[in-house]
Amino acid sequence: MKRIITLVVNGEQREVAVEPDLTLLEVLREDLGLTGTKKACNQGECGACTVLLDGKPVSSCLVLAVRAHGKAVVTVEGLAENGRLHPLQEAFVTYGAVQCGFCTPGVLLVAKALLDTNPHPTAQEIEQAIAGNICRCTGYVKIIEAITAVAQNQNI
Amino acid sequence: MRLPKFQYLEPATLAETIPLLMEHQGRSKVIAGGTDLLVALKQRLHTPAYLISLSNLAALKGIREEDGMVTIGPLTTLEGVSAAPLIREKLPGLAQAAWEVGSPLLRPMATIGGNLCLDNRCRFYNQSLFWRSARQPCCKAGGKVCHVTNKENACFSTYSGDVAPVLIALQAEIKLVGSQGERILPLEQFYTGDGRRPNLIGGGEAELLTEIRIPLSSHTGCMYKKYRLRDSIDFPVVGVAVALRLDQPQGICREAKIVITGVGSRPVEATQAGEKLTGREMRPEFILAASETAAAEIHPVRTDQVGPSFKRHLVRVMVAEIIRELGGVDR
Amino acid sequence: MTGYSVVGKGLPRIDGPEKVTGKAIFTVDVDLPGMLYGKILRSPHPHAKILNINTEAAERLPGVKAVLTGHDVADVRYAFVDTPRYPADEQPLAVDKVRYIGDEVAVVAAVSEAIAEEALSLIKVEYEILPAVFTPEEAIRPDAPLLHESQFTGTSAWEEWGAAKRVKDYRSESSLNNLSGRTFVAFGDVEQGFREADHVREDKFQTAATAHCAMEPHGAVASYEPVTGKLHLWLSTMGIFLKRYNLSRALKLPISRVRVRHSYVGGAFGGKIDVFPYEFCAAYLSMKLGRPVKIELDREEVFTTTRQRHPITIHIKTGVKKDGTIVAQDVKVIADNGGYRGSGPIVVFLCHGFSFPVYKVPNYRYEGLAVYTNNPIRGPQRGHGAPQIRYAIDSQLDLIARDLGLDPVAVLLKNIRHKGDVLPNGDRLNSCGLQECIEGTAAGINWSSKRWQFAAAQPLGRFRRGVGISLCAMFSGAMYYPFASAAMVKLHDDGSATLYTGTQEMGQGSYTTLAQVLAEELGIGLEDVRVVAGDTELTPVDLGSFLSGGALVTGNAVKLAAADARRQLLECAAEILGVGMEQLATRGKKVFVREDPQRSISFAQAIQASVFKRNGNPIIGTGSYKGYPETNRYPSLAKGKGLFTSAYGFAAQAAEVEVDTVTGRVRLLNAVTYHDCGFPLNKTIVEGQVQGCVSMGAGQALSEEIVLEKGQLFNPSFLTYRLPLAPDTPESLDKTANTLEPNGPFGAKEVGEGSVAGMLGAVANAVHDAIGVRINSLPITPEKVLRALEQKQKAVR
Ligand SMILES: Cc1cc2nc3c(=O)[nH]c(=O)nc-3n(C[C@H](O)[C@H](O)[C@H](O)COP(=O)(O)OP(=O)(O)OC[C@H]3O[C@@H](n4cnc5c(N)ncnc54)[C@H](O)[C@@H]3O)c2cc1C
Ligand code: SF4
Ligand code: FES
Ligand code: FES
Repeated sequence: MKRIITLVVNGEQREVAVEPDLTLLEVLREDLGLTGTKKACNQGECGACTVLLDGKPVSSCLVLAVRAHGKAVVTVEGLAENGRLHPLQEAFVTYGAVQCGFCTPGVLLVAKALLDTNPHPTAQEIEQAIAGNICRCTGYVKIIEAITAVAQNQNI
Repeated sequence: MRLPKFQYLEPATLAETIPLLMEHQGRSKVIAGGTDLLVALKQRLHTPAYLISLSNLAALKGIREEDGMVTIGPLTTLEGVSAAPLIREKLPGLAQAAWEVGSPLLRPMATIGGNLCLDNRCRFYNQSLFWRSARQPCCKAGGKVCHVTNKENACFSTYSGDVAPVLIALQAEIKLVGSQGERILPLEQFYTGDGRRPNLIGGGEAELLTEIRIPLSSHTGCMYKKYRLRDSIDFPVVGVAVALRLDQPQGICREAKIVITGVGSRPVEATQAGEKLTGREMRPEFILAASETAAAEIHPVRTDQVGPSFKRHLVRVMVAEIIRELGGVDR
Repeated sequence: MTGYSVVGKGLPRIDGPEKVTGKAIFTVDVDLPGMLYGKILRSPHPHAKILNINTEAAERLPGVKAVLTGHDVADVRYAFVDTPRYPADEQPLAVDKVRYIGDEVAVVAAVSEAIAEEALSLIKVEYEILPAVFTPEEAIRPDAPLLHESQFTGTSAWEEWGAAKRVKDYRSESSLNNLSGRTFVAFGDVEQGFREADHVREDKFQTAATAHCAMEPHGAVASYEPVTGKLHLWLSTMGIFLKRYNLSRALKLPISRVRVRHSYVGGAFGGKIDVFPYEFCAAYLSMKLGRPVKIELDREEVFTTTRQRHPITIHIKTGVKKDGTIVAQDVKVIADNGGYRGSGPIVVFLCHGFSFPVYKVPNYRYEGLAVYTNNPIRGPQRGHGAPQIRYAIDSQLDLIARDLGLDPVAVLLKNIRHKGDVLPNGDRLNSCGLQECIEGTAAGINWSSKRWQFAAAQPLGRFRRGVGISLCAMFSGAMYYPFASAAMVKLHDDGSATLYTGTQEMGQGSYTTLAQVLAEELGIGLEDVRVVAGDTELTPVDLGSFLSGGALVTGNAVKLAAADARRQLLECAAEILGVGMEQLATRGKKVFVREDPQRSISFAQAIQASVFKRNGNPIIGTGSYKGYPETNRYPSLAKGKGLFTSAYGFAAQAAEVEVDTVTGRVRLLNAVTYHDCGFPLNKTIVEGQVQGCVSMGAGQALSEEIVLEKGQLFNPSFLTYRLPLAPDTPESLDKTANTLEPNGPFGAKEVGEGSVAGMLGAVANAVHDAIGVRINSLPITPEKVLRALEQKQKAVR
């Protein structure tokens, strides 16, 4: 049986009628057309589906959509504001932290959550924060560099 | 892989929840953070008609301290547990164990209650429906034979939760609430050792875990170490928790509890190893004896990609390491 | 050093903004009105006869639009290898037999994924279980069950491309059962060589099956328009023209009726070049139903059915002089290629192809066997044969250096090839930076101090460190359909340009590097280039991004197209300025007279003038390039004859590891790579490629392994297949040796694949250096380390 849920997605209030057996990932991608959030394992093992749920990074493939009722969701589409890239997005491009781009949305959101709570993390804290996000392309080196650069507020 | 169809029930209070559990007993599942259950549902390990969500039960969330006792609501997230100043200060071993669960993307959803109720795991069982269709169902899946041991009517699936060992070592108690009222029991009694139904409510009993209580006076030091193949995401190959009560720093051990995950169908307490330390000073020969004993007390079965003798070796090493660190003993 | 203004710089990739905002559309993101969803029923048995399939209940399920089984498409054959010698052995859906767990048996199209999934459970298949084989050694025995009783006799793809028909069945050449490919190469006189050697060593190495783990799961969307008879496809692919060819052939559609359209590819690493049954099925169902059909594989299907790296057993016998000079080498490899041929004959050819360009071996014999087993299918994966063979050869060379008390680096330097060498097959090394790479790598890892220091200083400590080094070689494109690339450059009124190329962006940065080539050649900025790519209808033909041909072959095509556009631009400017073309120069999007810079016009003016004065010609430059401009000889897989590639990329890699001798865990602390990529067109992208390779190589050296028992894959998930995570990231130093390949655009050649290969040997050698024992099989897991240490202790006692 469908139920109506209300959630604030990227600052905008949305109402969706969902079956209880849908994950938040499925609703974002299929009902709200927000395909920036990716599905790579569907079992909580890779972080491609990361969104911020009330500010916390979670694997949206393991969150029932009904659980997001009344909550704020930020997806990668909500990072840039007024046509300006978020500093992390900017840095990911500049530092070559993006290759195929499939893991990128998830990593960006984790990085945002990290810097929101810990603006000046150490390299080790960065590694640990993104330890649930698998990236096969970059070997993580440039991802860590890009996040470090933003944390240090370098000119990017 | 989609989730199977189910009805979703969201009771607002504990009082509403218990009747629902009764009414739908046998065809429902309780869901907390969902990080274990939803994977199991996608794999069709269960196909309940109802999911009963605990997420609205505000009373089951939170951490407080009273009369030398820390009480944790089972719906508290692992992130919440590992970050709570109270826990970090007074129960650092617990904070560590909670922090080591899964990955940073699971811990904000995963609850400590769900962690304690975690189902046992096995490489023949935690697989998709298609994968399992290549063989006869094993005992845990309702069949006759265990694929690991070829024995009938026995399941050796492995308890792999990270948090229970620490809590058992700390002599925590839990509260279960059901239609018959509530009961309080030591956490170690919650686990059955039967791989098919690893804890008292794992068989779909109409009972809920509603509280975890940890006495602060039972120990003078507690530590958890986890060995896993990668530093994130992975379940423990072996996890060892030790709580010691020393009469004074580097003094005589009055009580030692050593509890291990990843090596049996329940969190395994190495009682004889603990006894080897009791009444002793923290000296290398006793530590060695305890660690050797602990390794002999466990009986791991090949339910994951790692062999039993390797696990035994790890236990020997880790038990000794932790006791040395807790006891302030140099190598 | 070069005075270039666009190439050679670490400019940000042009697809970056789309990707960081979530706007980049991957195949799995494509959503069309009225789209149906397909799901595939797969065999749960490693080897079985299909007796009967009953689809009635599935067909009756509301929402199900079609169910197909093998009989519906029984005449269709295709394969990655489809030559007169090795005709295609795959069918989209099994007709009478299944050969591995995961083999496709039926497909359902339904209005939702959930209904399609449910329908699968309603299909009833009766099987008769057949005896199965799970190792090549079992499979070649005379009494082994045969996987493929007969060979397909129709026309192979290579015959369509001009290869001669073959009358003899290759299987008559050998008495071994289940052979799917064989390569045999010899030069010099090996036996004589061994007699002349001072020291001879024989070793056996074993590599593991590994997974690509591209983060984007494989998917296909097909949309057939009945009215126009045109099929539109969105695919996870590394080569749109090869896919178009194979699918149009399998679907019996004229090639012009099939259009592969652009979508980004979320990583490939070799795993998205084969034609897969799900692609055929999506297309076929769409044609049958007149509606778009999407099939997206789940992660377990990706692990099990979209190819893996071949596990290979490698026997090597090597003879050397006292000073380490190799005099003879006899290599035998046997690769398990699973239930279908996959790339079996290619990988055993490439194990030779990536062995012989590195060291001068005067007397050499190589035999490679690819064998069918009832395991999952194996195909190309980053390095394709190089990781396996380089690991084995360089592990053994390290052992030989130890035997002789020589420094391994000195032994490498003694044996490597150099620029100008002509390989036994006739390939000439027009550039070769091996020596520079070895020296740079050794310096980068502090070889001379560390190697001996670690060995001597901490024999008893718990944590022991060691260093190791290994080399690799890689083709820069090879002869494979469509054999060449073309490119088109269209100039715009405002002086900017659009590049039309058939390349596919899958993370390797091809759009950006190719745009840089264009910009440099034409004399504009990167920001003035837009790229239209990855669409068979809009772009000229392209080799595809496999066999590392991207930079060299496509790069040259783009460079020629840009040069062509530039020539036209200058012609027009010369006319307007009233001077000869040779008197003109360009800078800052202006054409000026070299002697009199005041006389100039802007690119925009020249382009506009061209439109006015030349009947609307807006200036379109074209260019094309073939892998081997100088030859028509395709390499022979069986004999290793013919030219292989016009440029070899090389690399030297070193690793410093720390082994915890108590828990057996090995950590890669430091990785140094010097990659001879000729010239790095984009420094950031080249570094990124190398870092990705290092991570993958380290993973495959230490923890990655497909675990199979009786053909069943036990770890089809990221939880249990342990690829590296962020905390595993080593310190890394990634440099290039700029040898300026004369055949390459601005001197560029291969970069994206080679440096997986050297990591395996480097790590294995470093572990040996650390603990003094050799582990002869990959991955080097903690359990293996502890076992090896135990055995060493026993031996001492
Ligand atoms: C990729 C991955 C890695 C993981 N790694 C680890 C790891 O390293 N260590 C580890 O310990 N776990 C790991 N887990 C498992 C899981 O995430 C954690 O154990 C988590 O704590 C479970 O909590 P939850 O709230 O999400 O449980 P849920 O999934 O909601 O529930 C789990 C079980 O407990 C029952 N349950 C939950 N709460 C109650 C209650 N209050 N009363 C009665 N029954 C209840 C449910 O019915 C269900 O059967 C991993 C999971 C994934 C997907
Ligand atoms: S231990 Fe045996 S019975 Fe238990 S889950 Fe594994 S295979 Fe099944
Ligand atoms: S898709 Fe959700 S964690 Fe992988
Ligand atoms: S950029 Fe491709 S997976 Fe991270």
